[in-house]
Amino acid sequence: MKEIMFENVCKTYHKTNVIENINLTIQPGERLILLGASGCGKSTTLRLIGGLEDITSGNLYMNGQRMNDVASGERNVSMVFQNYALFPHMTVAENIIYGLKVQKLPQEQIKERLQSALSMLELNGLEERKPKDLSGGQRQRVALARAIVKRSDVLLLDEPLSNLDAQLRVHARKELVKIHQAYHQTFVYVTHDQVEAMTVGDRIALMDKGKLQMVDTPHNVYHRPANVFTAKFIGSPTTNIFEVQYAERSIRFGQQKIALPDHWNHHIAKKEGVDFYLGIRPEHIQLEREKVENSFFGTVKYIEDYGNRCGVYFTIGDKEAVAIHNQVDLKSGQPVWFKLNFNKMHLFDKQTTMNIGYPEV
Amino acid sequence: MKNKQEYQWHILLCLALFFSLLPIVFAISNSFKDLSEAYNNIFNLIPQYPTLNNYIQVFSQLPFVSIVTNTFLIAATVTIFKIITGIMAAYSFVYFDFKGKNVLYFILISTIFIPFTVTMIPNYLTVSQLGFRNHILGVILPQLSDATGIFLIRQAMRTIPYSLIEAARLEGAKHLKILWDIVLPLVKPAVVSTGIMFFINSWNEYVWPVLVLKDKVNYTLPLALQLFISSEGGTDFTVAMAVSVVTMIIPLVLYLIFQRYIIQTFTSSGVKG
Repeated sequence: MKEIMFENVCKTYHKTNVIENINLTIQPGERLILLGASGCGKSTTLRLIGGLEDITSGNLYMNGQRMNDVASGERNVSMVFQNYALFPHMTVAENIIYGLKVQKLPQEQIKERLQSALSMLELNGLEERKPKDLSGGQRQRVALARAIVKRSDVLLLDEPLSNLDAQLRVHARKELVKIHQAYHQTFVYVTHDQVEAMTVGDRIALMDKGKLQMVDTPHNVYHRPANVFTAKFIGSPTTNIFEVQYAERSIRFGQQKIALPDHWNHHIAKKEGVDFYLGIRPEHIQLEREKVENSFFGTVKYIEDYGNRCGVYFTIGDKEAVAIHNQVDLKSGQPVWFKLNFNKMHLFDKQTTMNIGYPEV
Repeated sequence: MKNKQEYQWHILLCLALFFSLLPIVFAISNSFKDLSEAYNNIFNLIPQYPTLNNYIQVFSQLPFVSIVTNTFLIAATVTIFKIITGIMAAYSFVYFDFKGKNVLYFILISTIFIPFTVTMIPNYLTVSQLGFRNHILGVILPQLSDATGIFLIRQAMRTIPYSLIEAARLEGAKHLKILWDIVLPLVKPAVVSTGIMFFINSWNEYVWPVLVLKDKVNYTLPLALQLFISSEGGTDFTVAMAVSVVTMIIPLVLYLIFQRYIIQTFTSSGVKG
């Protein structure tokens, strides 16, 4: 098993930086998710591991060995492409064993691995079909089978589920985790879907504009976002960000203010008069129809009904915010008062947008 | 409605077929007539007194076996070399990154637009200096590679999704293996139809062989045909028809064998616009 290490890795295309100074260690056998919007450099990062792109500067190590100039085929890495990249002129079986044939493995071993991959991915009976005669889900499984028969140390997955419909995707997600548990390869998995990232990943590396924003467990990425970008990217509806000022043991927002509890006051005691970004997830806002102590005041704008609960969009001053509310008992135009769950609140430095940390409770 | 439209198309196709088949049928039927019957009854499709004399004459008057062999050797060698160099060059242009690639490609492609008459004399002088005059090697030598072939094969290769190449690279395949296992099977229709085109062009070629080849024993079929058209004492045209028929046979057979690839190439290029 191999540890993959990025050391100050940069990638430049025609003088634009696609990847900027990435430092990242991927542990052997872990499932690391590269998450980000399209164009953030996550696929390029994956392709750097596979040797499909050259590194402009910096070093890439696998198991302590510098890999910058090692050919793709010698990295012991396999990959599932977004479009599956199945060879259209070969049958399912030929596609799966192509790499083993290139490696000149003995015939019996090829047969045995083919059989185990076919049964693992429920492809029995389709061996002689051509890719064009398969459904999307079957193609995806053939691509996976081709990647796992190699028994490589690292499996790279480039948005492997993005061409499947929603129901199949949930099933395939579970299958991927099952495959990981069977083979214990290091998974590096690119996706723009945060649900996929949260459910499949041991750790998530969130990227934006070629830079790593945060690398941590799904739980921490959700509950302890490192910066404003992370807080806003993960979760739906998105985290509310308010520009606030800390003064006299309270948070001031426009004309309104609410008093902070002691542990927060203690935590930011020296920041009197400093501006912050306050982040709070919609589900951590408590809406009241009557005026309550220590709350902000707003007006309901519109309501999204999710069935079991609803998203209430409201204006506070000139800013729009959203809260998750359990009952559909509000109407647009109605005034609301909302309280923050201080244990779930995040404060970010206004200059750096970095999280300033949490008080000990 | 649809039936009516199909009907109209079929009438049109039948007309086209009639006009393209007419000269072929004409040549075949007249090649089995003697000269007097041909002059009297030129449009009679079935000869009244069928004869093989024209064919016998062709084979007795000329070193015909060596002429057919020459034509075939030239066409086959030229085709094979043009295809091999075309595949190699196209692969490099599509899958290798090197400095000046686009400029080089542009220069190469612009050679397509140089008329044959411009290169004819320099090529002739080169071939003479090398001592290949009056030898089929002299005909072959300037035709071992062809920018049109590089262009056509490159276009076909560019339609292959690049991820297929990357997938093969990740499996550990090197360039030659990728070319053989992945790229060639996928561009086969284009390669075959380009090859047929080269073969037929070379088979029908007249001006260049007539410049290089002097002795009848080295001749190719189009040159042999010419002997019967302009020989002194008028055109012995039934014999010329017999030579034409022999000249047609091999390309026709090749076309019949490979026609599904040719059709595939044209239809697929049609879909992709």
